[in-house]
Amino acid sequence: MKKYGLNEITFMQYIFLNFGMVLSIGFLSLPRVLSEQAGTAGWIALIIVWVISMAASLIVVQVMKRYPDGTLLDLVTVYLGKGAGKVVAILFALYLCYYGYTGLVYTVLIIKQYLLQQTPAYIIMILLLIPTYVIVRNGLRILGRYVELVMLLSLWIPIVYLLPLKDAHWLRLFPVLKEGWEPVFAAVPSTFYYHIGFSTTFILYPFLKNKRMASIGLVISYTLTMLMYLFITIICFAYFNSDEIMEYNEPTINVLKTIEFTFISRIEVIFIAFYLLIFSLSWIPTMYMSVFCTTWLIGKQDHRNHLRLLWVFIAVGTFFFMPTVFQSEKMNTLLGQIGLGVEYIAPVCLLLYVSVHDRFRWRKHL
Amino acid sequence: MNKRMLNVIFIFLLVSFVPGCRDRLDLENSTNNLALGVDLDNEDNLLFYLHNPVYGRGIKNENLVLKVKSQTIRQARGKQDEQAPGVITGRKVQVMLIGKRILEHEDWFQMLDVFFRDMKNPLTPRIIAVNGPISDIMYLNPKDQPILPLMLRGMIDTKSAKSETVQTTLQNLHWQMVEKGVTPCISEIQLDKAKRIMLTGAMLLDHKGKFKTSLDTEDTILLQILNKNAKQPVNLTLTIPGHEKSGPIHTDHVSILVQSMNTKVKTSYQQNKFRFDINIKMPVDLTELSFPFDVRKNGKELENSISKQVQKKFVNLIKKIQEQQIDPIGLGLNARAHEYRQYKKVEDHWGEALSKADIHISVKVNIRSMGPLK
Repeated sequence: MKKYGLNEITFMQYIFLNFGMVLSIGFLSLPRVLSEQAGTAGWIALIIVWVISMAASLIVVQVMKRYPDGTLLDLVTVYLGKGAGKVVAILFALYLCYYGYTGLVYTVLIIKQYLLQQTPAYIIMILLLIPTYVIVRNGLRILGRYVELVMLLSLWIPIVYLLPLKDAHWLRLFPVLKEGWEPVFAAVPSTFYYHIGFSTTFILYPFLKNKRMASIGLVISYTLTMLMYLFITIICFAYFNSDEIMEYNEPTINVLKTIEFTFISRIEVIFIAFYLLIFSLSWIPTMYMSVFCTTWLIGKQDHRNHLRLLWVFIAVGTFFFMPTVFQSEKMNTLLGQIGLGVEYIAPVCLLLYVSVHDRFRWRKHL
Repeated sequence: MNKRMLNVIFIFLLVSFVPGCRDRLDLENSTNNLALGVDLDNEDNLLFYLHNPVYGRGIKNENLVLKVKSQTIRQARGKQDEQAPGVITGRKVQVMLIGKRILEHEDWFQMLDVFFRDMKNPLTPRIIAVNGPISDIMYLNPKDQPILPLMLRGMIDTKSAKSETVQTTLQNLHWQMVEKGVTPCISEIQLDKAKRIMLTGAMLLDHKGKFKTSLDTEDTILLQILNKNAKQPVNLTLTIPGHEKSGPIHTDHVSILVQSMNTKVKTSYQQNKFRFDINIKMPVDLTELSFPFDVRKNGKELENSISKQVQKKFVNLIKKIQEQQIDPIGLGLNARAHEYRQYKKVEDHWGEALSKADIHISVKVNIRSMGPLK
């Protein structure tokens, strides 16, 4: 009863989907947030959150193992009944939609700030939505390939970040624990926001070709995320001093501003344009999964009509209302809080319920 | 059939509404600002100078210099726009000249906020202090040199590679201003009597950007060694005492090329003050010797006297810095990294704390080669 067999994704695509979604937008402001909260010790919080996130994502896999051929929605229907399945589908669709919209808004604001100051926001939004439609329309397999391509095209990013190191002072990283351990733990909650995205496993699991590898895939993608975050954070900390880093909204972009080549002087403009590929991973997969949930709700297979509706809704909506930078920041914080509930707390409850339920039934069968 | 029509209409709509060319600016319509100058006139009014190249047939003077009185940089651009043939853009600013009269006041750095806030502006312009009025330099227009902004930038880039001046970009300056454990240090130029631009070394400022003292090129080289910024070989010429001078000819000099030196700073806190032990290992190549000397035989002796002379110069430089209560070396970074608790107490007046600190310098010169002569 492989009802999702047509759209399988490979192990590699699964890793990249997770990695890309988690990383997509967070890395721009992460060093500032860490520095604000914990000073030079901020990077330790990353390692703590890495362990917690891995644990939480493994719980998700444990839950999904109980019903390997269906998504979260099918699983909830089986365990809790049809009504509950529908409620979960709506909530999950809303969450993913919000996730995607937040990413889109943030990207539009970044483009407006750094690249196209005079172009109206709704035009940028439509320009971003066109390729989104083309990819999402074709379903999960194409999405997986797109993510793979984006990763290949972005391999240069870590190398570029080595260039500003000529101006770095490694002494700025010390003393590591300025004020003891307290600030490090204080930084942990706000770091969770930068690690949400693994709940996609709830939807992706049945599509995965080799399901036994799911846990390993998550571990790999989280380790990649942690290494990438750590890399960028440490470079920002060595490049800016701890007072300075808080003055920039996106220190990760500012680091690049002083790179000069003899043949081109303002290189960061090109870099930001390239970043858009990575940013796109925050809304393209989520938009797909969101419409997947809504089409599941009405019991159809073709997700394209819902996608078109969502597309038009966002495009027209942006024409009338575009959040400001402050609103966008609030949206991000809210997303972090919701994400904490959806991705860290909900799976634990679900796992408890499911295992209790299974044991109970097992006794009854005896 | 119907669907195809829909698609065509949709594509037509997109093509007509979506093209995002609103940020376009043709080169013909822009006046590219390459050098920006900020100065005070005699009545303490802020003056802004813009140096722009102009192209076109029949134009004799290819430099357009605009000067306006204004309160801020952005406001000045508006006023300058009235005089310029095109839209003034600051995307290509190469150098930023700051008059010494400005540097005698505090808090001028805040004026440059527009460069950090408006992403269209670059953060790479070299900051240059001008000893004298900026108008002299802006209107100089020498016939035998490239246009001013390119010439200045070339000067800074090549001389700073040899450590004869510092390469402080706007981004570096921002760090030096914000960081409490270091004080700014920028390049300095002036006009000599024959009206030629001279790069005289570096200018040291205090925490708020106020002028403290100037360093000549030799002191700048030493400072760059202490800063660990001297990445390429540097030249030093020293006098060795004990060799007599005959008439106007100096016969007591030795020139050395210092390469891959190693500067180590040890930080400690003793008797209520900081203590820094700076050890410098200098491998040198002899390049010039203006007195007869058998280097092959008495190499050790020469090594010792060079070490002593270099050390003396370093001590003088440190003394000068301590007198002015500034820290262009960035010893504050070392203090924070190693003695954080003590540093935290004096963080806000680090210059003062440094002036009380014990700084010990030891230089170890090691002659690697003497050239083809013995």
